[in-house]
Amino acid sequence: MDELTAFGFYPAGSLLHRLDARFKLVFLVSISIAGLRAEWLALVTLTVFAGIVLLVSRRSLFSILIEIRYFIVFLLLICFVRSISTQGTCLIKTMFFSITQEGIRDGILISWRLLLVVLFGMAFIATTRPSDIRAGVAWFLKPLPFIPHKKVATMIGLVVRFVPVIFNQARETANAQKARGIENRKNPVYRLVRLGLPLVRRTFENADKLALAMEARCYSENRSDPDLSSGVHDWFAAVVVFFLCVFTIVL
Amino acid sequence: MNAIEVENLYHRFADGTVGIDGITLMIRKGDLVVLAGPNGSGKTTLLRHLNGLLLPDRGRVVVAGIPVSNNVAMARQKVGMVFQDADSQIVGETVHDDAAFGPENLCLGKVEINQRVQSALKKVGLLGLSNQRPHLLSGGEKRRLAIAGILTMEPEIVVFDEPFSSLDYPGVRQVLGEILALHHSGRTIILATHDLEKVIAHADRLIIMNRGKVVRDGLPADIVKDVEQFGVRAPCAIRTGGEFQSWMS
Ligand SMILES: Nc1ncnc2c1ncn2[C@@H]1O[C@H](COP(=O)(O)OP(=O)(O)O)[C@@H](O)[C@H]1O
Ligand SMILES: [Mg+2]
Repeated sequence: MDELTAFGFYPAGSLLHRLDARFKLVFLVSISIAGLRAEWLALVTLTVFAGIVLLVSRRSLFSILIEIRYFIVFLLLICFVRSISTQGTCLIKTMFFSITQEGIRDGILISWRLLLVVLFGMAFIATTRPSDIRAGVAWFLKPLPFIPHKKVATMIGLVVRFVPVIFNQARETANAQKARGIENRKNPVYRLVRLGLPLVRRTFENADKLALAMEARCYSENRSDPDLSSGVHDWFAAVVVFFLCVFTIVL
Repeated sequence: MNAIEVENLYHRFADGTVGIDGITLMIRKGDLVVLAGPNGSGKTTLLRHLNGLLLPDRGRVVVAGIPVSNNVAMARQKVGMVFQDADSQIVGETVHDDAAFGPENLCLGKVEINQRVQSALKKVGLLGLSNQRPHLLSGGEKRRLAIAGILTMEPEIVVFDEPFSSLDYPGVRQVLGEILALHHSGRTIILATHDLEKVIAHADRLIIMNRGKVVRDGLPADIVKDVEQFGVRAPCAIRTGGEFQSWMS
């Protein structure tokens, strides 16, 4: 049941897998920030780059698109809301709303940026062990005073560990309900409630079991963390990402 | 020498259900003990006291001479636990990471961890799948991974909660093989099940539980005839009057 989880680590030996988690964190944050105000040409560049990154991370683009189909629906919704809520040259006018050219443009830009952030985020999670993400975050938080860096890192590690659990659970529950003909009910609110309640309950039950299993194996904040080590290829990647960000901001 | 001593144990859950209703037990080092009883008889609750996942309301549990309540961390290292639900027991993103989880929690060094993981995976025959995602393993392989995950912590006592549930025939044989290998290497084994058929031939001792109490305790051959009155199916050999048959032969 687990093959199709979007947000999980995919073990492999690609270049992206071998990069230092700390570098990858910085890359993710800087690309996301640089992409905030990106316009057309920059977005195309970033998209090409995202495509290359996902290819290198050995995930098939097609399966990724299928996995994030609901997110894409959400983006389309953003486009629509934007296009009817922005003032400007009117393209289509109906009784209730009018779609403007500026609105469509804004909507597409915003959704495209969001989509890119998600794609890069997925590439990051797919190629970085959760324990490395944890250790990387702890490394960055360590010099900051008043922040319990080990606690925060543990929390992040647990979240990364849990997202796939919730997704799996959602899919299993949805399948079980499909098998009993929930698709005949057209009311989306009804379906959401019928999916949501058991999902929350079973997620908590699974969380409980996982917590017990971790406790039984002596889990605590103090544990031997993986050694993070950086090399020439990390700095090389940093140069590439740096130019990409500059390029994105300048364009 | 006793591996585990349970003295006068009571446990009541927050909702008022009595899980354990006064149990006293001594478990000898090196024995393979089978804990049988119908669903809800308190087997899981009892096992969870052995490594401090639950603490007694009254009475005490002593592991290797030290009360569990005084040193929970030590009890968890000495008593390895294989849970009923193999899936929710997986905490690592790869087979190797999952097996390394325990020794990482013990704050061991990198080299030592790798060494232990390699040897544990080798023992359960999963070395070739080190980089596999654990969720893609078969049922039997998942249980063997769970066993490897506790072997890396080098426990003296290994506790199995319904180790054969939802396994196919080869899966049962694989897991039973690992359990017997652990027993032969000198470890104390406690195994909870409502399905006696699969292990009874190898048990040194049989304990029957019902409603939070121990109702029979002794050599399997002596008390196995009583199990059906407590809602546990007796092995075929009892009905046919033959010897217990091992599932390994
Ligand atoms: N967390 C809990 N809260 C309340 N009651 C529980 C809890 N866990 C188990 N019980 C109850 O305790 C009894 C013993 O359960 P358990 O030890 O799981 O039995 P077994 O493992 O033999 O099937 C059952 O009646 C069960 O309903
Ligand atoms: Mg049970």
